[in-house]
Order: sequence, then structure tokens, then C-alpha cells
Amino acid sequence: MEESVDTATAILASAAALLRQHTFDDISYRALADEVGISERTVYRQYPTRAHLLAALSTWIEQAFFPLPPFVTLADFRTAVHERFRAFDASPAYAYVGARASAISLTLDAEPAYITRAIEAMLDVAAPTLNRRDRRRVAASLRYFSSAMFWARLRTGFDLDAGEICDAFDRAVGAVLARLPDRTRAQP
Amino acid sequence: MTGSTAVAALSGTQAAILAAYAELIEEVGSDDVSYRLVARRAGIAERTVFRNYPTRVDLLLATAAWIDATVFAREESHSIFDIPLAIRDAMQRYDARPELAHVVAEAAMRGVSGAAPSPGRAQLERLLDAEVSSLDAAQRRAVVVALSHLDSAAAWVTFRREFGMDSRDIADAAAWAAEAVLDGIRDRVAP
Repeated sequence: MEESVDTATAILASAAALLRQHTFDDISYRALADEVGISERTVYRQYPTRAHLLAALSTWIEQAFFPLPPFVTLADFRTAVHERFRAFDASPAYAYVGARASAISLTLDAEPAYITRAIEAMLDVAAPTLNRRDRRRVAASLRYFSSAMFWARLRTGFDLDAGEICDAFDRAVGAVLARLPDRTRAQP
Repeated sequence: MTGSTAVAALSGTQAAILAAYAELIEEVGSDDVSYRLVARRAGIAERTVFRNYPTRVDLLLATAAWIDATVFAREESHSIFDIPLAIRDAMQRYDARPELAHVVAEAAMRGVSGAAPSPGRAQLERLLDAEVSSLDAAQRRAVVVALSHLDSAAAWVTFRREFGMDSRDIADAAAWAAEAVLDGIRDRVAP
């Protein structure tokens, strides 16, 4: 199966290129096969369902276009998320693929995203004495407000641009963090 | 168009198609169900399904709206400060019907060609304006978007997938976050 690693990636690259002109739903397996110069059957072998294709495409796009800047402190975290929201605004078709892929019933591995682990690690340092339950509530809130889904909802449902979305994100994060007792915060 | 008006406008045939498709999604565990199967389950001809929903996207979006307005219908809140309770209930309903919750969550994330991602927006704005009228535009917007984001199937999907939470923990975390959003305006109610 030496061929398949390159083939799988070539299919994703073609799908990403087609996204500039078409919505994900309009991209057929036939069109992907023609783009890559392989048979439709080979596309199906790599991605048995459209959900598989969507999940893989989202991961590939994320790595290629929306790499998450590393963060350790809460300030770095905000900056990293702002950067991503602005990147989403610059390539909305790609960002919607990410938002959508994170909503589908899982077809691949069930590993949490890298940003989830990074948020948990950040809270371990920022609030070392916080109890486990509150830590999960805070982590889940920060994760959800920093997601492509948040960007997608605010862009489509509220017609907001990246600057306004960053502002709404900052206020939501501020509200969540304000619930932490002061003494749980690590001394800088 | 809100969910309930979308459902009220359906013909009997359309309602039967959407209910049949939703049923099959739960049975198969995927929205990848053929028109033939949907037609057979609804007890109608396949061409009738095509006439009402020419593409799969049409069918999927209509079904997502139908699910949201029927299976996941929520009791109306009478105060913005009751929204965390509504969110808690909604999360438990999503958890009871996981496949359908995924369909609703995904339909709202498709961009301009998708479902309205914040069907509850108008109600949130109405409640907030009636009770807390002194907010500036950015504060008001921040409260509405945060609550709207939390009161959705996407919250249930994210908390479950990324944190492995069970039904109770998801309901608790989502309601807790909504309370946090309300903290800043608790004592700003118009007398």
C-alpha cells in the first residue's frame, strides 16, 4: 500500500483546491478521481464515506493552513485564538470545513484535538490548586469558545467579522475566568 | 424563519419524509441513507421524495430543522436568567438522541448554504432587552452570541468528543458556562 499514503494526500489536496470554487457537498468522488487521475473506486477505498473524507480533509487543511501557535499562558492563548479567527476570516471555505468536521459523528480516531490538550496543560499551570470538576468546566468552555464552530456561528448567524468575533471571544473567556477564585491562580 | 414556523409550513407528505429519514438516521447511525429507503419507510414513491427534496442537502437541512423543532423542542424561557436551565435540559435531550444531535450540529456549521446557526437569537435578544436594557452594543452582542453558542447541539458534541463527558457533566458544564456569561449582568436588571 505504498501508493496509498500519497494517493490519500493527493485526494485531499485536490479537494482543498476544488473548495475554492465549490462547496464540500458539490465535490463529487468522480471529480476528485478525475483531478488526481485515479479511478473513482480508489477514492472510495481511501474514504469509504463522505464523513471520512470530511474528517480527513479538515485535519489536512488545519495542518496546512491553520497551524495553532503554541501557547502556555492565558495571554498567549488569547493571541493564538485571535490569530486563528483572523486566518479563518481570510479562508472561510476552509474554516467551515473544520467547523463542520468537528460536528459530525466520529468516523476516525476519537483522540481529542491538540488544542484541547494544550488548554488543559495551560490550566494546570495557571490554576494549579483548582479542583478537577471546575477545571473541566473551564477547559470545556475555553475549548468551545475558541473553536471553528464559534467563528462559524458568529460569522453566519450574526454577520460578524474577525475583529468582532475576537471581541466576543475575549468577553466570553473573561466571564468564564472571572468565576475562578483569585487564590487558585498561580502567582506570576 | 424559526424552527416552529418551518415545521408548521410542512405538508403531511413532507413531515412523513422527514420523520422517516430521521428514524433511519438513528437506525443506521449515519445520514448516508438512500432515497429509496426513505421512500419505502415513509410509504410513498421515491420520485415524491425527489420532488419535495431535489438534493441530499435539501433533505438533510429540512430534516435537521424538523428534528430541532420537534425532537429537541424546548420550553420557552421567560427570563434571560432562565436560559441556563433551558440549556441543561437541551443537553440531556441531545444525549438521549446522539445521532440526531450530530445531524443538527452539523447542519448549523455549513456556512451560507447551511441551516441558520442561531435559531434562538431573536428570543435571546428580546429577553435581554426586556430585562437588561442598559448594555452597550458590544456587551449586548457578547451575551447573546455566548448564550446562543452554548444553547446548541454543537456544545453537546464538543464536550462529549473532546472531554469524554457524560450526560450529567455536559449539562452541568454548559449551564455553568451560561451562568458565567450572565454573571456580569445579574444586578443590571431594569427596575
